[in-house]
Amino acid sequence: MTTATKDWSGAPSGRQRAVAERTVRSIRRRRIRSGIMVGLMYAAAALAILPLILIIIHLLRLGGSAVNWAFFTQMPRPPGEHGGGMANAIVGTLILLGISSAVGLPVGIGAGLYLAEKRVTPLATTVRFLADVLNGLPSIVMGIFAWELLVKPVNHFSALAGGAALGAMMIPMVTRTTEEMVRLVPISLREAALALGYSRWRTSLSIVLRTALGGIVTGALVAMARIAGETAPLLFTALGNSFWSTSLKAPIAALPLQIFTYAITPYDDWVAQAWAGALVLVAIVFVISLAARIVTRRRFSAGD
Amino acid sequence: MPKNIPEPFVKLLPFALSAAITLAACSPGADGARKDSSAGGSPAAASTGASDGQLTGAGATFPYPIYSKWFADYAAKTGVKINYQSIGSGGGIRQLSEQTVDFGASDAPMSDQEMAGAKGGPVQHIPTVLGAVCVTYNLPDVKQTLNLTGDLIADIFLGKVTKWNDGRIAALNKGVSLPNRDIVVVHRSDGSGTSYIFTDYLTTVSAGWKGGPGKGKDVKWPVGLGGKGNEGVTGQVKQTPGAIGYVELAYARQNKLPTAAVRNASGKFVEPSIDAVTAAAAGVAQKLPPNSDYRISIVNAPGADAYPISSFTWILLYKTQPNGDKGKKLLDFLHWALHDGEQSAPSLDYAPLPAVLAARLDSTLATIKVGAAP
Repeated sequence: MTTATKDWSGAPSGRQRAVAERTVRSIRRRRIRSGIMVGLMYAAAALAILPLILIIIHLLRLGGSAVNWAFFTQMPRPPGEHGGGMANAIVGTLILLGISSAVGLPVGIGAGLYLAEKRVTPLATTVRFLADVLNGLPSIVMGIFAWELLVKPVNHFSALAGGAALGAMMIPMVTRTTEEMVRLVPISLREAALALGYSRWRTSLSIVLRTALGGIVTGALVAMARIAGETAPLLFTALGNSFWSTSLKAPIAALPLQIFTYAITPYDDWVAQAWAGALVLVAIVFVISLAARIVTRRRFSAGD
Repeated sequence: MPKNIPEPFVKLLPFALSAAITLAACSPGADGARKDSSAGGSPAAASTGASDGQLTGAGATFPYPIYSKWFADYAAKTGVKINYQSIGSGGGIRQLSEQTVDFGASDAPMSDQEMAGAKGGPVQHIPTVLGAVCVTYNLPDVKQTLNLTGDLIADIFLGKVTKWNDGRIAALNKGVSLPNRDIVVVHRSDGSGTSYIFTDYLTTVSAGWKGGPGKGKDVKWPVGLGGKGNEGVTGQVKQTPGAIGYVELAYARQNKLPTAAVRNASGKFVEPSIDAVTAAAAGVAQKLPPNSDYRISIVNAPGADAYPISSFTWILLYKTQPNGDKGKKLLDFLHWALHDGEQSAPSLDYAPLPAVLAARLDSTLATIKVGAAP
């Protein structure tokens, strides 16, 4: 007790100084440790994006020289003839994205809304589980499935079959993100709408879906970015096309297929085109992802 | 630049339109599509509408470059568009059997069982160009071309000959200082027409190989490392001093790989070249029985200048073409390919068919029945 009184009133004793020094040392040690850990986290974060940076540098180095105006406007040329482009494959990929979105988005968003509204019914639990299984299904399986269903019976490959295969891949992704987003909508909003006399379905569509729209659009864009680079489901559905074709009932060209075909040939021109195609494909995915970010940001700023 | 500007807009227009159409067509679900096909009425209208009159083919990867040149040249000349996609020989046979393509293509002839399983009836094989498989190696200190025999290649790939300075290799390469290095065998890890031709040859010349791994697109390799595709094998060989592998001729020549001279049936060591491959086909073509279905192997062919690891690649089509319009287009194209098209083959490192065979194929094409034009 006496020491305590002395502590507060007078100059610090030797022991107190020792304690203080120890505390300072301890804090310093903790700061250093914290600094090291933060540094390690930064390093881990840097390592995580390193592959992407390396890929982009590599693509720019090998494919950059072949990306020019002609690449976007001209048709592929046979080996031995310089130049040419992948206009048909770029447009083909965009058409396939359009078809798959038309197939995958309505179903995916509808299913997601259902799952969020009817959280614990046996059907919802089953659908949720099956969506997760579908999400993990190898994409080549989806291609074979689409071949059996949409190619074999009609005896020809088609853009429609390719788009349907990709769309089927989108459904589980969109379903799950939609569910998550809809769940974030505050219950009070829903209650307010119901209190004002809105019917349940009207509340779901006009209030809940609208509030969650930003997040749902983001989820849809992320799903599109993911399937844009898929090759396996297209091999036996869209098949690819060396000519200009926008017919939904005919085989259609796609960037991933064209890259795959060209990359394994012995001709330098074609290999360069494959690299350029890869660069353009990454750019398309990048733009879609960027759009997703912008939509997300706008949603949050609007919410403030 | 400015004169090019309208082009992308013209080309993007169909996309914008078709995107709109897609959305409009797909939203009501399957009903729209069903109505569409039933409204088509006659099967002729349905089939021409289905593919815009374009022909579709699929199959072997090996002839893809020359075929795409042919189809591009032919489209420029006649306006007939034939879409060929390389999905592999096995895939080509499968899709032809299921009638999802108008023609198939393969590096290995269809087996009797595959022929029987084709849903559209009897299949005709039409040889188009020739390819060869080269034995390539990585011996940094050896500048001369190595001489090898089929038996020796078989024993190397069987793992019986394991050193580059083995007495049997040295006996064939007098004056070459062979290093005391282990031989590293590199083979294809994926099923491939290239492997088929290579093992077909080894089976023909080596009893040990015939009784062991045998021939096929994918066999049980006793030793060695696998590489996917020609580029995979090339990569492995380039990285590994002492490695030996096999790649197709066009690939070896475009990448300037060293290739071994192989002793042919006449006892001469022949380096792989376009002329040597055509020579192999010529020797076989002259002795071809009149009723041949062209499912013939030309490995270890007779002829002083014949390169022994050579093979045809085939286009496969039904002997009775179901669609008159498409059938006629396909036959017209094949006639053009066998005469005009062959001339551009050497520029892409493919060996053209011997003239005697091209002439014979004309009469074969004449036997293909084409359904009544719609």
